[in-house]
Amino acid sequence: MRPKALVALLLSAVLVLTGCGSGGDDSSGDRGGPVKLLVFGAPEELAAYRTLLDAYGKARPGADVQLIEASDRKDLLARLATSVAGGAPPDLFLMNYRFYGQFAAKGVVEPLDERIAGSDVVDPAAYYPVAMDAFTWGGKQLCLPQNVSSLAVYYNRSLFQRYGVPEPKAGWSWNDLVGTATAMTRDSRGLVIKGTESEGAAQRPVVHGLGVEPSIIRLAPFVWSNGGEIVDDPDKPTRLTLDTPAAREALKNLVDLRQAYGVVPTDEEVEAEDDESRFANGRLAMLMTSRRATTNFRTITGFEWDVAPLPVYQKSVGVLHSDAYCMTRGAKNKDAAWRFLEYAIGEEGQKIIAATGRTVPSHIAVSQSPVFLGPAQPPRSAKVFLDAIPTVRALPTVSTWPEIEDLTYGILENAMHRGDKLDDVVRDLDQQTRPLFARGENG
Amino acid sequence: MSVRPDARSRRQLALMLTPYLVGLVGLVLLPALVTLGLAFTEYDLLRPPTWVGLDNLTALTDDPIFRVALVNSLVFALVAVPLRVLVALGLALLLHRRALGVGSARGAALLPTAVPEIAYGLLWLWLFNPLYGPINQLLRTGGENGLTVLGRTPPQWLTDPTDARAAIILMSLFTMGETFVVLLAARRSLPRDVYEMAALEDATGWDVFRRITLPLMAPVLALLAVRDVVASLHFTFVPAFVVTDGGPPPYSTTYLSLFVYQTGFEYLRYGYAAAATLVMILLTVAAVVVQWRLFRRYRGFYRL
Repeated sequence: MRPKALVALLLSAVLVLTGCGSGGDDSSGDRGGPVKLLVFGAPEELAAYRTLLDAYGKARPGADVQLIEASDRKDLLARLATSVAGGAPPDLFLMNYRFYGQFAAKGVVEPLDERIAGSDVVDPAAYYPVAMDAFTWGGKQLCLPQNVSSLAVYYNRSLFQRYGVPEPKAGWSWNDLVGTATAMTRDSRGLVIKGTESEGAAQRPVVHGLGVEPSIIRLAPFVWSNGGEIVDDPDKPTRLTLDTPAAREALKNLVDLRQAYGVVPTDEEVEAEDDESRFANGRLAMLMTSRRATTNFRTITGFEWDVAPLPVYQKSVGVLHSDAYCMTRGAKNKDAAWRFLEYAIGEEGQKIIAATGRTVPSHIAVSQSPVFLGPAQPPRSAKVFLDAIPTVRALPTVSTWPEIEDLTYGILENAMHRGDKLDDVVRDLDQQTRPLFARGENG
Repeated sequence: MSVRPDARSRRQLALMLTPYLVGLVGLVLLPALVTLGLAFTEYDLLRPPTWVGLDNLTALTDDPIFRVALVNSLVFALVAVPLRVLVALGLALLLHRRALGVGSARGAALLPTAVPEIAYGLLWLWLFNPLYGPINQLLRTGGENGLTVLGRTPPQWLTDPTDARAAIILMSLFTMGETFVVLLAARRSLPRDVYEMAALEDATGWDVFRRITLPLMAPVLALLAVRDVVASLHFTFVPAFVVTDGGPPPYSTTYLSLFVYQTGFEYLRYGYAAAATLVMILLTVAAVVVQWRLFRRYRGFYRL
């Protein structure tokens, strides 16, 4: 009997020791270890970051940066928040300005002004101001942007040529977009087909004219272009202002792409195959998305593709898409992290990541160099992204913005695919987001 | 020094239970207590929590998303739990005898439970694909223009609210392997002479089931049903997270578990999420108490 008791005692001792031991390692062993960089992205994007890390390892022998890969944006937010709460945050993380507000407001991000002032690598004047400004909070530069993308229309050039439809070009209007998309929505015989009654209809379109997600960030540039605003005060927003005639018109036109013209795939079709895959598989003539898609689309071999600027209502306006490297306040290797950050957003690092196709470089000189504009890799019209920069506007960075995006997405999705009444949609958008704006903190 | 045997075996028991108790206290009870405490604070994981009293709970009563999640969870439990237990019971009664292929059939019934949850979710994401998924492909055979043979649209698993809820329930039905195994064991341990007696009395199959099998298995069934109700509050999480992402909009398959996850980890409202968790725990307790009373009555009726 005695040995059994001893075994039980031993087992529990082992359990207690291992349980405590692993916790202890996490909190103490980091100092002087590798710089931890938290990112998320598609496999092609992650490969781009690995390329950058490899180059850094070669350029600075002995420097050690470890990539922590989150599966998606939401996973990254959860990991960041829990690691901060647990007292072992990553040293650096890469985040879009639309989502960094909640971390900026809560004092998680280390201000970089002093380090920038003391650096002989990072010169703030060398970067596009619109991207730098998106990451200032309370007058401080919290993060440093790696890219300054905007929304563009990717299009399947081969398909346009096959059907003899003129390719989209700068200065085209919303009506041109609808006309082009209608002309590109085709059935299996290659004939123009109206896609509005596809459910149970004799034929579904095999090629859809356009892919665009019904989200506030896709809607925003058109509201602005039409002379409207999406929030009452961009710096301290308290409500959405989609009830103005200009905003309503832009919203109605977006919804009509599905409801009136049927040029975008139905919700069922989107669930069956998302827009990016649909485009890559040659079944989507145009796709409105940011620069992020480029790394994926560079793997396309079956057809030629290019980018065009957004269509214009009254004036040309784009929406800013920008990700930045942020340092956590609780970072264990701040100096080493800063050295990597200098490299990553400096000329050398930006050239490497730009060559992978992932970014529109935030470094002005790099963005105008052949690494980004060169014709070796698609898109040929990469300059479209640069031409848009003077007109891009940033979305609010209020700390509750992620929640606002999720909530409005549901309402807008039902507007586009279920055909909810526009009055109800505008009212719901306003009423349901007000408490979120009220709860938010601004920089 | 000699110790009395019962005292010694008791001490041994305590020693052997220690590892489990350490885990239970350290990994479950303490975190649960902390979470309950956080339910009365405003906490975003990043700044220290501040005491807000009952604010979170009152805010929950006004929160339309929470109400939808609560109703979704209750409806799921009401529909899925009886179905799961029924399916498991049916399979157990069908497969408890020795016959050709019974072993493989039991294995097949148990297999989906062994698939890791995320993989199981991704598998169903493919099965439910509205256009290319095998389920709808099958339903479309014989029909024309993407309709079923009856001329109806096949279920829109991922885009129609009712169909999506049905999809989550359908997914949950195939993971009743554990319940099935327990019921199988329970059925096989029933005394054989009772059934021989019933056969002598010319009892019909229905009589045997109604008067013998069901009453004898009732305690096990009751226990499994209670367990399933408790588990149903959280096993909706992975399907809703992986397959439907809480949609179709607005919140057709947002269950309490997903609500708690999103509020806590995506929107960093940890205190508020803790309050929702508190409601979940209260619901669990209520479900157990109600069922306990129901089954006590039932046992009284059969004088078990």
